[in-house]
Order: sequence, then structure tokens, then C-alpha cells
Amino acid sequence: MESVSDSDSVRLEVSACLRCLSSSDSSRNITVLQTLLSYLDEASHGAAQRAQFSRSHYSRTLRVLITTIEADWVHRLTARQREELWDALFLRGPPEQALLVLLEAIGELSPSTSLDHVVTITEKFLQDGRLTNLLWSYCVGSAQSDSPQLRETLLGRLSALPDIMANKLHHNISPLFLPQQYYPLLASAMLTALQRTCQALRDNINCSLAFVSQTLGKLCLQGHGLVLAAMAPRLSACTRSDMVWQRVCWKLFESIPQRSMECVLTALVPESLGRIVGNLVLRNKKAEFVITHKLLLLQYKYETGVLRTVLGYLAADRDRRPLLIQVLRCICQAWANPSAVKHTPMEQQLYVSKALLLSVSLLKDQELQDLRSELLQCLLGGMQSHLDSSVLRIRCVGMVVGECLSSRMDNADTKLKFEYEQDEETRELLSLMTPSGWCEPEPVDGKAHKNPLNQVSVLQHNIILTFIHKSSDDELTPYDMTEDQEVSQTSPPRYLRDCLESLMSSEDAMRVELSLKAADPLVRRNAFAAREISVQMSKVLLHMEDKYNIQGFLILRHAAMVALAVTDCIPVTQYLTTEFYSLNYSLRQRLDMLEVLVAAAQELSLPTTDKKNSSIISALDVAELPPFQGHDPVHWRQVVEKRIQSKTRRISKGASQPATAKATPNRYAPVAGYFFFPLLKNYDKPEVTFDLLGSDHLVLGRLIHSLGLFMHLAVNAPVVSPIMGSALLDFVWTVRYHTDQMVRRGVLFAVCSVFLSMPSQNLLLDLGDMLFETRTWLTDVAEGDPDADCRSLAVQSLVLLDKSLKKQLKDPQSPSLES
Amino acid sequence: MLKLSVADDANVQPLASLNDHRMSHPPPSPIYTLRGAGGPLNSLHFRCYGEDAPLLFSGSGKGCIHIWNLNTRRTNKVIEGHSGSSIIWVCTKRSKDTLISQGRDMQICLWDLGEGRCDLLDSVWTGSVGFCQCSMLETSPISSLLAFAGQQTEEPDSCPGPLLLAGYEEGSLLLWDVTQQSILSQVKAHPDPVMCLTFDPTRLRGISGSSEKNLSSWKLDEKNNLQLQGGVTLANPGVSQLCIREDGKLLASAGWDSRVRVFGWKKLRPLAVLQYHTDMVLSVAFSDHQDPRQRLMAAGSKDQRISLWSLYNES
Repeated sequence: MESVSDSDSVRLEVSACLRCLSSSDSSRNITVLQTLLSYLDEASHGAAQRAQFSRSHYSRTLRVLITTIEADWVHRLTARQREELWDALFLRGPPEQALLVLLEAIGELSPSTSLDHVVTITEKFLQDGRLTNLLWSYCVGSAQSDSPQLRETLLGRLSALPDIMANKLHHNISPLFLPQQYYPLLASAMLTALQRTCQALRDNINCSLAFVSQTLGKLCLQGHGLVLAAMAPRLSACTRSDMVWQRVCWKLFESIPQRSMECVLTALVPESLGRIVGNLVLRNKKAEFVITHKLLLLQYKYETGVLRTVLGYLAADRDRRPLLIQVLRCICQAWANPSAVKHTPMEQQLYVSKALLLSVSLLKDQELQDLRSELLQCLLGGMQSHLDSSVLRIRCVGMVVGECLSSRMDNADTKLKFEYEQDEETRELLSLMTPSGWCEPEPVDGKAHKNPLNQVSVLQHNIILTFIHKSSDDELTPYDMTEDQEVSQTSPPRYLRDCLESLMSSEDAMRVELSLKAADPLVRRNAFAAREISVQMSKVLLHMEDKYNIQGFLILRHAAMVALAVTDCIPVTQYLTTEFYSLNYSLRQRLDMLEVLVAAAQELSLPTTDKKNSSIISALDVAELPPFQGHDPVHWRQVVEKRIQSKTRRISKGASQPATAKATPNRYAPVAGYFFFPLLKNYDKPEVTFDLLGSDHLVLGRLIHSLGLFMHLAVNAPVVSPIMGSALLDFVWTVRYHTDQMVRRGVLFAVCSVFLSMPSQNLLLDLGDMLFETRTWLTDVAEGDPDADCRSLAVQSLVLLDKSLKKQLKDPQSPSLES
Repeated sequence: MLKLSVADDANVQPLASLNDHRMSHPPPSPIYTLRGAGGPLNSLHFRCYGEDAPLLFSGSGKGCIHIWNLNTRRTNKVIEGHSGSSIIWVCTKRSKDTLISQGRDMQICLWDLGEGRCDLLDSVWTGSVGFCQCSMLETSPISSLLAFAGQQTEEPDSCPGPLLLAGYEEGSLLLWDVTQQSILSQVKAHPDPVMCLTFDPTRLRGISGSSEKNLSSWKLDEKNNLQLQGGVTLANPGVSQLCIREDGKLLASAGWDSRVRVFGWKKLRPLAVLQYHTDMVLSVAFSDHQDPRQRLMAAGSKDQRISLWSLYNES
């Protein structure tokens, strides 16, 4: 009964006050404000009255105050009165209501002094640590108005305060409202609230962490995960020894809402997971999914450190270890899946491989024994699908993982051993097998190793010391002597025929090596002799095997074959292109043929500058030019130049003559067709030993790539390039969706080179309707191909195509339309 | 400590080369070359002291002795005195204007070069068809002793107690007391013929080369006993000549692999491998400049060129 009368009296008094404030009569307003303020003080009113005021009348009061903000009496208040009465009403009451009213007011007011006033109050609100009070009031459940809607609004406002302020204030924003300051403030408020919670729990007071968790979840969901990153070190430090803190932390993360769980975990993962989160994965399904599946198998953007943390977290606790085993099984499957090897991006495969190695390195021997058969299955399947891939990186990763797995499984001598080049990637993978961080090394072993090691180093030290001591009286610094190698006794062949002879029939390793080394310069020096035996010598070189383990054999043979193809272009290319599709060659030999053709085409397309090659050009000119162009082009130029020289009077005769780029005939243009067209024939006729469209996709990819190169090099041969371009587009059309990414890359490269080197007027005329189909296909690839290179190549070709088309459409008077 | 450093000499070597490799410079190039000798250069001899232009004498395989002026870098004079037979050794006497040359026509000739002359003063018939070079000992300006390989032993008439080192085709070194005509010491230095040897009288140490890969170093102790001291292994076999610089710091070897190798003479530490010639290097010599900074090394090769190098002249 008393409480009813109490509440009535409060209501009546507040209503009277508010009426008074709204009316323009200003004389009593100061006392009115004092009356209202007294409801927030402990001294003047009873607890029930104060609670009544905060619950039902506080928001209303603040709203009325905001509506009167422009009234005359407010302006008449002295600064001190304003601060002590007007502002204090906002800063002493329940913080959640004050914040909501303040932000609401900021949203509604237009830029004016009143807005500035409200903003100042808000700033003060933050500076006074009212945020902490806000969070803490929710922790102890003293926040009165707690409907879900209100809570949601409050969470929204809290997490988006910098955005709200920035939208309203634009550039005049106080630095406190910038995300860089606000979020750390919020984080420290949360930490203080947690700190108080711990204290309260020790004092046997019940607390609820739901609101703090929700705030945290909301923040992370909105992409402010850095808040958590800022909190984590403190949390980690506090949970190190304090059990209450640990419980508080675990509870905090357990009560995070389902939908923000993922964001929170991903924000937390780079930090130390285990102590802060506890056995969250076991209790929360969502967390389990995120940790065991999403972070490992679906996403692959994280650093290796994150993987270490996640897997280390799973391995660190006895209860969580079954999850590690389960995860390992999933990763094994993912790694060994042949379809994944083909269709997932390289980066993801690398990520999965890292996860696999890390989790295997975390296994104990007993667990390893249990999983042995499954791991073996995974290893065998995975190795096969990795080694089948035509991408070197994938093969390499497969080899490293295979080696590591087998060495972890068998301590005996049945280890796998591959030969691969060590680079940063493989070294990183290998380093994953050596545990670090959470796995402490066994101390006994460490000590046992330490002693002898020390001795060795001491010994070496001694030796070095004595050496320095000895040499100090010599004081002569030696020069580099690495060149001092053994010299061979036999002399290199001086005639091309001798060279060929020894390549064909010699059993003397030294002679064969010298002949191979001499072949390239000999061919280039004796163009005429080379022409007589070019095809025969190509044949010999093509079939030559590295019987004597000659250093740089492949390079030397390649150089010699290129020299032949350049010197005597047409017969050699004819020979090589026909042999490419014939029986009984190994893949290596076929690839060699392509490489030689490409290198020869490249060399031919370069302008000849040095004098060395001039004999070859002139010889080529004679061979290739039609006979009616009888007179030498150099000749008339010389005559003209002589005439100009005789007419010119030079004042200073020195080095003033500029070096001009001399035009030289394009050696590739007349023979481009010989390189290109024969390779387009027969590709779809499978031989017993060679199935280009079937299993030999490695060669197919390289073939298409080479064709693209021939096309690209023909950029200065406008006569043949349109024909080549349309033929090439036709050719690659059938294989454009090949499963092997090397083939797809080759196809895209070829398309790129077509757009690059075909004259733009021919693109529309000759390719016409094909262009539009190509365009749709390219956009398709650019969006959806799993291989990053393919995507970028597709984008590149689209850009080239558009540029070329635009140029053509803008420029009406192109030569082709006239002709 | 000391024991380790001496006994483990072989073990220390790779470590040393490792250490050196870090701070090594590329090997130097010759400062200039002399061309036009017209034949393989079997023997080189500097004469750079005094006020006259520094001279280099070279004996070629075509029987010519070229006298090169090192200032103009041209030939001053060409002497053809051994009827076209290969010259295997040239040397000047300390008294300025006399030159001794040994040819494969079994003659040793003494030439007077004073005032632009080149007159044959004397000649000795040796009767030896081998490649063994002579050796000259100048005890005083007026008396000197020449040792050459001959058919029979002859007794020299003057000078008490000089010692003579000789290397033989079966690979051994003999130390002769010349007056007593007795062998003082004998050591088997190489499995193959001794091709060259040189001796440092201040340290009483010498080194010999052969047609194999090893240089063999030896010491003469107080009792005139030869003691082998180990040696150096080269990358390629065959050494035509060895030469120690006057200051006793450097040893140069003329290799059949067309490279000149330079060692520190004290420890036989490899210092440089000089690669310029395209054929066997047959001879190597250090100049006797009085100013150490001007000192040169010359190498003569079968490719008919003489290369001149300036090495370690700073100190």
C-alpha cells in the first residue's frame, strides 16, 4: 500500500516538474532540475523511490530535457549550473537509458549549438567510464528495463557508435568517437566489467555475463574483431593462474550467441586459444564446426600460425584429443581426394597439406599405430593423385608430404624418398614436422645430445684458431681459386661432320661430351655444312641419351638442336613437326621437340644485331627471297647513304653520329607457317603410344602453349597471323574446358596471344561470330575457374579483346576495309 | 694445441679454403703480354737492376733468344745462336753484359752484349741430349761455377765445397758435394721424373715438381741430409718450372695445364691460379727489381706468349 502511494507521489512530482520545464516560465526551473537530480542521489530519497524514478521516469525526463534544449531558460543558465544540473542528469542516471536518449537526440537534432551540447555530454559520458557502468549494470542484473527489443537496440548502438557519430558529425568529429579510440575504450570497459565479475563471484554474488558476451559477439559480427585481439593478451595473462578468471572467460565464450560464434573464434584464433576458451568445442556445436571443419577444410586464408594454434588447441587437452583424430581423418580424406587435387585452388591444397603435416606431427605414437592403416591408405591414394598432376607445385607438395608422412609412420628403412628442389615452400612444409611451441621437447634426449655437440664445436673452434694463427704470418690474401678444375685431355672436334660422327658412334665419354658442347657453335659457324646434315643431326640429337651423365646434357642438346633449326629452318621444322605425331617417342622427346621449335622461333623472330649472325641472315635471304627481288636492299641503302654523306658538311667529325636502330628483315615471318600448321594436324588421332586428348594431357598443354607462342611471335607477320589466329581458336575450342589446369592455362595463353598479335581489323572480319562465344566462355572462366592463373589470364584476354574491338569500331578507315 | 696444428695439416686445408672463399677476389689478369717470340718459350730470365732499361731474356723453342725491353715492351734484339735448336736455358752473369744460353744442340754459349754487340765469346759442348737445365753459382764477380748435365763426370778445378742438387729421371733428388764428388744425401721425391726443382738457400728448403700432380717439398738439415716435408697436390698433373721470389714469400709453378699457380712459400698455401695461356706454361720467373713495388712475374708458354703479372707487391 505504501509502495503504491510512493509510486504515485513520485509520478505526480515528476509530472509536475516536467510540466514546469516544458512551460516557458523559467524562474522555478533551477529548483525543478535540482528536484529531479535528487532522485538520482542516494541521500535524499528512499531506495524504492529512486528505483521507481529510474525505471519509469528517467527516460521521459531526459527526453523532455532534450525538447527544451533550445528554450530561453536553458540558455540563461550559467555554465556551472548547466554542468551541475542539466548535464549531471544525463551522467548520473542509469547509463543505458541515458545513452539511448543521447544517441536518439544526436540523430534527430540538426547541426546547431544544441547538437554540440549533446555531443559534449556524450563525450563526457564516455570519458567518465559510464560504459563500464552500463556493462556492469547488466552483469549484476540491475538494469531495469530489459526487453529483448531494447537490448537489441542498445547492442546495435553500442557496437555502431562511431558510425552513428560519423554519419551525423562528418569531419567535426571528436577523436574519442573514432573507431581507433572508441573500440579500445569499449574493450577496456568489458575487461573492467569482467574484472568486477570475478571480484563479485569471490564475494558470492551471482552475475550474468550474457550481455558482455552479446556485445562481444555483435562487435565481432560487425567486423571489429580487433577489439577481441586487444583483449586477448590480457585475458590470456589473467587466466594463467586464476581459476575464477578462467571460469569467467569460459562462461563468456560459451554464452556468445550462435550466429556470432564463428566471428569471435576467428578473431580469437591467432591468440592462445586453449586457456581462454576452454573446452568450448565440446559443448558448443557451432564452435566445434568452426574449429574442426571451417577453419581447416573450408577456408584457407589463414597463416600457418593459425593452423598451429587450432591444431595445438585440439591436441592440448585429453578431452579434445578425439576431435584431433577425427579432424585428422577428415584432412586425410581431403588431401587424398583426387577430385580435390584437380579442382581446388593450389593455395587451399597447400593449406590442407600443412594442416595434415601439423596434425600428424601432433599425434602420439600410440595414436599413430591405431591410425596407421588409414594414414597409409591416404598416403597411397594422395601420392598418386598428386604425382599425376601436371602442376609442378602440386607434385612437389605431394612429394614432401609423402616423405614426411612415411618417415613419421615408419622409423625403419622403408621410408619414401623423392628428389625435388628445395625452395621456401618445401622448407616450410618440412619444418612443420618438427614440433615447436606447445610441444615441449623431451628433456632427457636433449641433455644427452648436448654434451658431444659442445665438444665438436670446441674442437672446430680450436682448428679455426690454429688456422688463423698459422696464416697470420703469411699476410697474403689468396685470390678466388674455384676455377682451378681438372682439364680434359681430348680436344673438341673442329669439323661439323666429325662432331656428328662422334655423337653417333663414339664410345668415348669425353669425346661425346666435347662434341655435344661444340655442336652449337659449329653449326652456327658453318651454316653451309650444317644445311647438308641438318635433318640427320637433328635425328641423332633427338634420339641421344645421356649415357655418360654429362653435365648440362639437356641444355647442350637443346642448344645444338635450336642452332640446327635456326640455321636450316624449313627442313628441320618439317622433320620435327612430323616426328611429333609419329610412333615410338617418349613424352620427354615430344616435349623436347616442342621446346626446340619454340626456342628456334623465338630466336628467328628477334632482330639480328651482332655481326656473327650476319652470314646466316644473308644466306637465309638468298634461300627464302623470291628470285625476282634480285637487287640487294643493302646495296641501294649504301648508295643513298654515300650520297648523303658526300652532300653533308660536317663541322665536327667525332662520336656525334647517333647509333640508329637498323631495320633487319624478320626471319620468322616467312617461315612461321612451317612451325605452326603441321602441329595442328593429327592431334585427334590417338596412337598406341601417344594419346593427346587422353592421358597425355601434359603434352597437350605444352603443345597449345607452344602454338600460342608461335602465334605471339608472328605479331610482325600480318600476312599469316589472321589465318593462324582463326585456326588456333578453332583448335583450342574443343579443349577449352579440359580438366587439367595446365591445359586450360595453355588454352587461355593461346587465346591471349591470338588477341594480342592479330591485327584488330581481322578480328571482327575473320573471327566474327566466334568472338561472342569466346567472350562468354572467357567471362565464365574469369569468374569460376579454381586456378588463379587461369582466372587472371581470362581477365587479361577479355581486356585485350575489348581493347582491340574498341579500337576497330572507333577507327573506321582501317586498311582491311579498304582492301 | 701445437701438436694439432702440425699433425693435422691435411685436415686443416679444406677448412682454410672454406674460410678464404668468403673474402676472395677474382684472380688478377696479366698487366701486359709480349707476343712475337715465334715459338714456345722454354726459359725466361729478368735483368732489372741497375740504371739501364729492365730487360727480359727469353729462350724459344725455335732457337732464338729474344731480349725484351720492359719499358718499350718491344724486342731489343734477337740472337739466333744455336742453329735453330731449342733453347732450354738462359742466364746472365752478374757482370752486366754477358749472357749464357743453353741449347739442345748440346752447346752452352757465352755472349757478349756490351754496347750493342752480340758476339759469341765462348761455347762448351756438353754432349747431353736431355732437357736438364744448367745451374750457375756465382761466388764472386770473377769466379762462377756452372753445372750442366754431361756424359761423364768431370772434376771442377776451383772453389771449395759447393753443394749441388740434382733431380733425376727416376724421381730422386741427389745432393752432391762437388769437390768431393760424393753423394751427400739422396731422397726419392717423386714416382715420375723430376721436371724441375728450386731451392731457397736462406731457409734451406726446396721444392720439386714432376709430371704428376704432386709438388714435393724438402728440407736440408745441418748434416746435409735431405728430408721430405710433404707437399702440395695440384688439380692437374705436370709442372715445367718452379720459381721462388727473391724475398722468399712467393712460389710460382708453371703448369702443363696452361695455368700458373702461386703459393705462399712459407706454408705452401695456395694463393692464386692464374689462367691466361692457352697452352702449356713452360717457364716462370720473378724479376729482380730493386724496388719491390715494381716486381714482376713472367710466364712463358707454348702458345708463344709471355705474360707479365704484378702480384702481392704492396708490402
